[in-house]
Amino acid sequence: MSGLPVTRDSIELERVVEARFGNGLRVRLLPERSIPTVSYCTVFQVGSRNERVGLTGISHLFEHMMFNGAARYGPREFDRVLEAKGGYSNAYTSNDLTLYYEDFASEALETVVDLESDRMRSLRIDDEALAQEREVVKEERRLRTENSVFGLMEEQLEALVFLSHPYRWPIIGWMEDIERITRADCEAFFRTYYAPSNAVIYAVGDLDPEATLALLERSYGDIPAGPPPAPVPAGEPPQRGERRATVRFPAEAGAFLAGWRGPPGRSPDASALDVLQVCLAGGEASRLRRRLVQEEEAAVSVTISWGWRVDPGIFFAFVELPPGKDGRRAEALLYEEIEKVARRGVTAAELARAKALLRSAVLHERATHHGVAHALAQAEALVGDWREAGRALEHYAAIGAADVRRVAREYLDPARRSVVVLDPRRTP
Amino acid sequence: MSGELVLPPIVRTRLDCGLRVIVAERPGVPLVAARLVLLGGSALDPDGRHGLAHLVALVARRGTRRRTGRRIDELVESMGAELGVGVDEDASYLGLSAPVEHLPRAIDVLADVAGAPSFPPAELARIRRRELASLTHDLDEPAVVADRALLGAAYDGHPYGHPSEGRARDLAGITRKDLVAFHGRHYGTSTALVVVVGPVRAAEVTELVRRRFQRWCRRPVEPPGIPEPVFPDRRVLVVDKPELSQAQIRIASPGFARSNPEYHAGLVASSILGGAFTSRLMGAIRVERGLSYGVRSRFASSRVGGLFFISSFTKVETAGELVQVALDETRRFCDGGPTAEELERTQNYLCGLHPLSLETHEQLAERLADLELHGLSHEELTAFRPRVRAVTAEACREVALRHFPRDAAFLVAVGPAGALAPQLERFGPVEVVAAKTIL
Repeated sequence: MSGLPVTRDSIELERVVEARFGNGLRVRLLPERSIPTVSYCTVFQVGSRNERVGLTGISHLFEHMMFNGAARYGPREFDRVLEAKGGYSNAYTSNDLTLYYEDFASEALETVVDLESDRMRSLRIDDEALAQEREVVKEERRLRTENSVFGLMEEQLEALVFLSHPYRWPIIGWMEDIERITRADCEAFFRTYYAPSNAVIYAVGDLDPEATLALLERSYGDIPAGPPPAPVPAGEPPQRGERRATVRFPAEAGAFLAGWRGPPGRSPDASALDVLQVCLAGGEASRLRRRLVQEEEAAVSVTISWGWRVDPGIFFAFVELPPGKDGRRAEALLYEEIEKVARRGVTAAELARAKALLRSAVLHERATHHGVAHALAQAEALVGDWREAGRALEHYAAIGAADVRRVAREYLDPARRSVVVLDPRRTP
Repeated sequence: MSGELVLPPIVRTRLDCGLRVIVAERPGVPLVAARLVLLGGSALDPDGRHGLAHLVALVARRGTRRRTGRRIDELVESMGAELGVGVDEDASYLGLSAPVEHLPRAIDVLADVAGAPSFPPAELARIRRRELASLTHDLDEPAVVADRALLGAAYDGHPYGHPSEGRARDLAGITRKDLVAFHGRHYGTSTALVVVVGPVRAAEVTELVRRRFQRWCRRPVEPPGIPEPVFPDRRVLVVDKPELSQAQIRIASPGFARSNPEYHAGLVASSILGGAFTSRLMGAIRVERGLSYGVRSRFASSRVGGLFFISSFTKVETAGELVQVALDETRRFCDGGPTAEELERTQNYLCGLHPLSLETHEQLAERLADLELHGLSHEELTAFRPRVRAVTAEACREVALRHFPRDAAFLVAVGPAGALAPQLERFGPVEVVAAKTIL
């Protein structure tokens, strides 16, 4: 088909304008004028990975505190001012990073910079706001974990996969720790982790890079740098055999969640595991969906999730079972299919299908300012270089069937497996 | 507001067979979104066959006269696409988003699946078992249970009163003959539309669609006739889930159809009450009282009617307090309407974010298809900002008075009935049901 002009498949890295201010704040700007909006991300390199026992959940609770007012924009002003300018904001905390974003009509850029620099410079941390956010976070924990079959299982699995690494506790934290966090803890946390020296700003969309850079320098340039964050004890003893746990929670049907410790995001194997993930469970023609769901009907659904992290993260397989069936058959089939890949690899057609699906995923990410800004941010926080956001397709192109086989064999070894089984009976 | 939204050229054609083809010529990312919409969804499920439209769509993609289900999977996924099928109360949808060079194959798959499904009996049996199992898993999702219960109770006896996934007892009895009959009666080019958005030329796409759909042209199908819904009296439905420590809450009242002229006033009013982060409900429930992590309100508008509802959740002990706070806020809104500052802020918010809702080819395709489905022009997209700006404080108050729940609320709560019922009986007569009954 003769078509209209199209963009390149990957982010145009050469058009990104980067800078580092005297206080250590890093800035990456990319003008994209397809629609009159801007996506603005502020990343602080801190997540549950940087926490310690007794104070789990502080990164996430602190994220809530960032919406409670600073020196110039008081309590509840942040979103009020932003919405009045045609913008939306939200934030999330992961194991490795805390990310704040605003998506807005482009003429609101100055306001957004003013709002964000105000809270980085002079956040108010008071007891009243802390008490109220603590209750909100407890409701969030009840929603996502304590009343969620998957949430309960995920929390157990993380504690099985990691014996010593901070990835062993949940991002939202243990309920008792959420209760325990004090204002003084929050103040110390802010000084270290929310200093410009620990932050990066990304802006993608309808903007002028030179003018924006000048605006950012004026707004953030004199915020003092902070002390260097403490190094994370990232070690983890080798796993020498399968680990299992049971979660008892009344449910209508069973499920199990298996996990293996993978490589860190910066390893070349991380991309090979992306390909393996799609071969195993991406799309109806994937191995596990065909075998477990379609042919054997041993499972209702199979989901594989592999998310890159700074340190070695988890390659998860979540399997929902038909009502009344236990998981033995589905578990055996899952391991059998993984072993087949580890022994014999995947076919050329499977590899091509996986790469085609991954290319579309990259194109979808590239289709929005928000997607591009997040890709840059994630790449820098997890792999150490924002340029990696534009190189995913190169990496996938270089992966062959032998690589897929090798990572299946190396990382999905039965002796490195951890499994959480749901026991759904009401009166076990 | 500067930075006006510029829509790409949109070309709408009606083919001889009645099929409407809408193409938006949009340069940019080398993807194309293609969406086939068949007028008629779960509201057409016959009594005792709830879930039929859904099964028709799911099983259609599991085999056609020319291709097995596996072949379709391989064909679609080797393009880097996934074929999505879905049904809501008003329509059935097939859609995919693929790299633009694959558009001819993508259109071919859509025409094949919608026009010539073979409904293989083994696939029907398997999909039915899987759907029954999925419904059972839904019982473990408190929010899903609440939404299902709300729909069934609010539209009691009306064709909108069951979720499109159907009911367990009905799915078991649906036969292949039912699927073939539904397909014959309701899948036809005369009421269908194809929307394509991407870096493509409208003339070429329209010709491509004409060729691929040629085989399927046949006698016109009847457009569905759905009666207007009648809303029930004030009541409280408690769905018993004794194991939960947090209750899911829904508070509902009658809304309006999507094509109703109140649409934009309703959007602004519901955003002020419970749309954005600075909404009144968010302020009263989350910020001031820490009762919940989230609360929102919205109009859910269909072709012949709609609902207004507030949804939230809170620990079981504070369920009654949360409902009271929510109703106090709706009453206060109905009494005084929004302030000038709230109105202007919300108008700016909705107008500023409008381009973001059309940013991807898929988003634009979905919006164009929905407008066509509701008999509205695509001009609505460019008229959105002036219409939102034209909404007055008085119009917000009026739409609230007509549609927001006050005393006469319809309430659904999911959680331990023993603890919830006593807290909620002051809002209306309480009926407690076991979770299984909502399947």
